[in-house]
Amino acid sequence: MISQKDHSSPHGGLSARDRIVRSLCLLFLVSGVGILALTIVYLFIESGFGEGFLHRILDCFTGEWRPLATPPKLGMAHAWVSTAMVTGIALAISFPIGIGIGLFTSEIAPLIIRRLLTPALELLAGIPAVVYGFFGAVTLVRWFENAFQLSSGETLLGAGIVLSVMMLPFIASTSGEAFRAVFREYRESVLSLGVDQFTMLRRVILVRAFPGLIAAAALGLARGLGETLAVLMLSGNTTAFPESVLSRGQPITALLATEIGETAVGSDKYHMLFTGALFLMLLVLLLNLAISVLKRKIYTGLYAN
Amino acid sequence: MTSRTWNVLYYIFVWLSGLIGIALPVGIGLYLLLNGGKILDISFLLDRPRGSPLGSEGGILPAILGSFSLTAIGLAVAFPAGIGSAVYLSEFSSSTRLKSYARLMIQSLAGVPSIIYGLFGYAFFVVMLRMGTSLIAGSLVMAIVMYPIILITSQEAFDAVSREYREASLSLGIDHTEWIIRVLFVKSLARILSGVVLAVGHAMGSAAPVLFTAAVFYSAGGIRLSQPVMTLPTHLYFLVSEGVSFENAFGTALVLVIGLLVFNTTAMILRKNIKE
Repeated sequence: MISQKDHSSPHGGLSARDRIVRSLCLLFLVSGVGILALTIVYLFIESGFGEGFLHRILDCFTGEWRPLATPPKLGMAHAWVSTAMVTGIALAISFPIGIGIGLFTSEIAPLIIRRLLTPALELLAGIPAVVYGFFGAVTLVRWFENAFQLSSGETLLGAGIVLSVMMLPFIASTSGEAFRAVFREYRESVLSLGVDQFTMLRRVILVRAFPGLIAAAALGLARGLGETLAVLMLSGNTTAFPESVLSRGQPITALLATEIGETAVGSDKYHMLFTGALFLMLLVLLLNLAISVLKRKIYTGLYAN
Repeated sequence: MTSRTWNVLYYIFVWLSGLIGIALPVGIGLYLLLNGGKILDISFLLDRPRGSPLGSEGGILPAILGSFSLTAIGLAVAFPAGIGSAVYLSEFSSSTRLKSYARLMIQSLAGVPSIIYGLFGYAFFVVMLRMGTSLIAGSLVMAIVMYPIILITSQEAFDAVSREYREASLSLGIDHTEWIIRVLFVKSLARILSGVVLAVGHAMGSAAPVLFTAAVFYSAGGIRLSQPVMTLPTHLYFLVSEGVSFENAFGTALVLVIGLLVFNTTAMILRKNIKE
């Protein structure tokens, strides 16, 4: 926090050297944020923003992907559905377990286990996506082949399960933060009423921590939507429309990673791929903004009380 | 069910979740160690890929060198830019509103999937600026991925330095530059470094930013700015997706995870020093 006062106070004035340093630092900030902003602008440009853009958006979400047909069909409905299925499965698994871990670390865990769990979750968050993809390929995919008698063990379900492990640390730490803040405030007063842990959880903690839990789910979702390597390696990467969770599929990130290097720059297909990327980014940006706003609400709300 | 039963079920659920949280990383680590330990030796680290199909024998040295050069060059760009931006926001910006908006924007952008930055890098650096698939194009994308992380962690580090030091130092008559270099940087060094270590570890493990900006399946080993390079994560991806060699894939995955462990431990030790 720097108030106006610092600059006008007798000792806070800027020397000539300070002014140079300040300009230099401002230059860094402007170019850094500028490059990040350029990313957004550039995706708009490369998506062929302008004539026919609305039509392309509609096509992007509803059409089939048959780039080799005449005329080529460049819809990505199969990819959006695959993405929705994979992230949906992942969230359904990791949300309850993540909340369980959040509760565990904030309230129940003995100190020694809590000290183990924090670095364990950091490790889980740090393992590269490609290693998760490989790990899933040699364990789950092989197991699925035998268990479900599939010709290929690559399924949306398998990709979703591995993705749930990747989301877990983010959901656990965010919900843990929310629980800790609420517990600090209410534990004494509620427990002094003589109710047990579960009643306290249901009546007070879950209600008060609810915005934090939504933020946790949104963070997990944002991670999952953009995850590339693991779903690329585990989903089967086929352009057919997925029929069930045991079908193979191709989430949007996998489609982008597969196609972009082999697409003529400036072609219709190229523009369509960037349209998909643009909407993926807008979706994730929106989620991130929502998370920041939610988190701010939680903390300012609690400290104000 | 009575409230007592629910309470017991609640305890079971929460304990189980906690144990899953510990068992998963331990299990994955042990599995990779048991399967990759056999292949991992000095010659695996110091040899180039050999055999037919290529990569089924030999080692991963070019991938290690490629990954290190990508992140080193990326860091050389992202580190000064990130620190400088953080200094501006916490020392020179007089508007708390600007600070708050800048932070909101940067945090949102830090969450943008790295494949998006990879696509941007492809369209902008590789195609439009005609860098081609090259070390320099990939390094710049790495810099974009690391910049927001470094900015956020250093700004938090600066904010943690007590304002009393600032008032005291400035009232002794030194200027802001001297305060920033002599006191602020020194006081927040451990925190900044721990953030940088995490950013580097994250960047080194991600394949999506470099998949179409810098990476190739095989390069003879020369590290040049204008040439593509091999990287550890993309090497692992190619080995698995082309079905070249699961044995070498286990070795590469183990190297990636051990590297990550080293980075995480370094960050943890740095953070311990802060407390003491």
